[in-house]
Amino acid sequence: MRRIGFFLLLLLLGALVVGCSASDTDTGTKKEETGGEKPEVVGETEKEAGLSGEITVWAHPFTGDQETEGAMWDEVIASYEEQTGVKVNFEQIPWANRDQKVLTALAANNGPDVFYVIPDQMPQYADAGMLLALDPYLEGFDIDDFVDTALVSTTWKDELYGLPILQEAYTYLYNVDVIKAIGEDPANLPATWEEFEKWAEKAKDKGFYATSFQGGGSMNGTLYPFLWQAGGDVITADNEVLINNEAGVEAFEFINKMYKEGWIPKDSITALEHDALWEGGKMLAVQGSGISVSRMLSQDLFEFVIAPPMKNKEQLTYGTTGMFVAPINTDNPAAAAEFIKVVTNSDNQKKFNTVTQYIPTRESAKDIFGEQKYLAQLADYTQFALPGVIHPEGRTIMPLIQAELQTMMEGKKTPKEAADAAAKAIEGKIGK
Amino acid sequence: MKREWNRNAIVYIFLIPVLVHFLIFQIYPFVLSFYLTFMDWKVIGDPEFVGLKHWKYFLTDRLAWKAIWNTVKFSAYYIVPTMGLGLILALIINSGVKTAGLFKGIFFLPVVTSFVIIAGIWGWLFRGTEAGMINYLLSFIGIEPQLFLSNSSQALAVLAGLSIFKVAGSTMIYYFAGLQSIDRQLYEAARIDGASSFKIFWTITFPLLRPIHFFVAITTTIGSFQIFDSAYLLTGGGPNYATTTIVYYLYEQGFTSLNLSYAAVLSYVLFFIILVISLIQRKYLGQESNNY
Repeated sequence: MRRIGFFLLLLLLGALVVGCSASDTDTGTKKEETGGEKPEVVGETEKEAGLSGEITVWAHPFTGDQETEGAMWDEVIASYEEQTGVKVNFEQIPWANRDQKVLTALAANNGPDVFYVIPDQMPQYADAGMLLALDPYLEGFDIDDFVDTALVSTTWKDELYGLPILQEAYTYLYNVDVIKAIGEDPANLPATWEEFEKWAEKAKDKGFYATSFQGGGSMNGTLYPFLWQAGGDVITADNEVLINNEAGVEAFEFINKMYKEGWIPKDSITALEHDALWEGGKMLAVQGSGISVSRMLSQDLFEFVIAPPMKNKEQLTYGTTGMFVAPINTDNPAAAAEFIKVVTNSDNQKKFNTVTQYIPTRESAKDIFGEQKYLAQLADYTQFALPGVIHPEGRTIMPLIQAELQTMMEGKKTPKEAADAAAKAIEGKIGK
Repeated sequence: MKREWNRNAIVYIFLIPVLVHFLIFQIYPFVLSFYLTFMDWKVIGDPEFVGLKHWKYFLTDRLAWKAIWNTVKFSAYYIVPTMGLGLILALIINSGVKTAGLFKGIFFLPVVTSFVIIAGIWGWLFRGTEAGMINYLLSFIGIEPQLFLSNSSQALAVLAGLSIFKVAGSTMIYYFAGLQSIDRQLYEAARIDGASSFKIFWTITFPLLRPIHFFVAITTTIGSFQIFDSAYLLTGGGPNYATTTIVYYLYEQGFTSLNLSYAAVLSYVLFFIILVISLIQRKYLGQESNNY
């Protein structure tokens, strides 16, 4: 009996520790206990002069050169601290499992005051009430300097939840040796699907793949650009599913044709990259962005040229937008909002994007690539770059579409059947 | 009783940190996640009670059942080959060959190597183009390139092969320990009676390894039902959900779709599946496990 009593005592002790730990979190971090409720919007005076305390900022490693990147952050943070008097606790979070880290920290009311997200995450988090709307903190702020396509991904239901710091534009990089091998002119690259098809056929005849297709990766790099170029889309903000309309089916058909004709490798159904084929000179073109250009330049494998985003009915492509946001339960919303404004101002965008080799989202910061012809070219193409499907279910529906696309490529469904099945799956998901 | 308490007091005191840790990091989340299955929770804010909504949805969720079926198929590809290969490797290093130590190190190497690195190598080996090593080798004997990870009927088996390669080394160690504990006199007696090597293995070694079989069967079964990394790294659950396992689906629901409550339901389904299988294995494999 005493033994049982002893173990009960231990259990009680454990329960107390559990209870105390929760209590400590509540009081120790001074987070808002109501969590989901919006913090009071601060007055103009406080916004201008009353900033104090400290904030925690989470960002990810954007380059392999941590020394240079660290020095850049030190400089950016110093400018903010000097301007506001608010202390910044900067923490670099690995990319892997970042969703879990952010979500568990926010759920525990112990998360950062500012963190980095990509377009897929923003509407999902905003729609769930997890993000602080920044509009009340932006009076007099020069928002017009931002590239329009960059702000698309920071806005959900007419409210601005983040400010963008980087942008990308994916377009085709062509191997000049292969262009010459198929008897074409590197100065006259394909601009439309029709022109691309002719080049692809020639490449196939000469034993090259026309391009890469990473069917196991994000739809942002596979189906969506073709969908937008065909004049279609996946879903509207009002939940109207468009993926199986005429334009949608045309995009499915184009991909199916590329696969069946052997213009893309056979493993494109689930491939995550085709670096070996591209770098081995066996591929005419790949979709790439600034990172791809930097990699090509550092490896110096062969001469390449960059084409503008292709056009069928529209000239569009994909390009991610990286932004900083604040969680709704930050205990220092004004300081968090101010940090987001400072880190994305023109000077800091120049510093950040010079180091990371991404494209600034402010027109006034785009001159950093003046002497780098490839990056300057990509910077010009961000005007055509859509940031993905801006919808709370944007990430959720992607695997559903991917599965149907894979089924089509395996030959188990026609493009029309696959597009219809994708539409049905999306409707099922948003109707749940 | 008091004397017993005094004698064991130090043991109880040393147990306290472990128990506290167990309560906080095992029992508390376990109970909390069960509570979460009856709630709708958007991470920030208070959970809302929704009763059995998520459990009912599970019963009609085609993808969840497909994920379970994929996991069962994965287990079928994985458990017996892992045990068999582990046993064969253990027999090799237990055979007394001079290079046994070297073999042990080589066979154990995949266990201590990062899964990401091994998955990267595996992905290269089984790439579904002529750039893949296996397809390159197949081309010498006139076999067309296989799609492997891009083929819905091959992908799961390729992932199982990766897991077998990664885990067989640790299974080998368990079997090696079991082999070392078998009384040598039994072998000597059998040889005097003229038993062949196969007869000795089949009638002495294999039955006397029963406790090891039981332990390895339990751990590999649990491991097979928790498979996640390989699908995450190599196929993203595709093609067409062919490699979406229950844990992969759970992860996608919890951290991509933010359906944390439904992910909690899936985790409990997984828990009950593993519990039932472990009890069945215990009933049939665990019998007489202490009889030698």
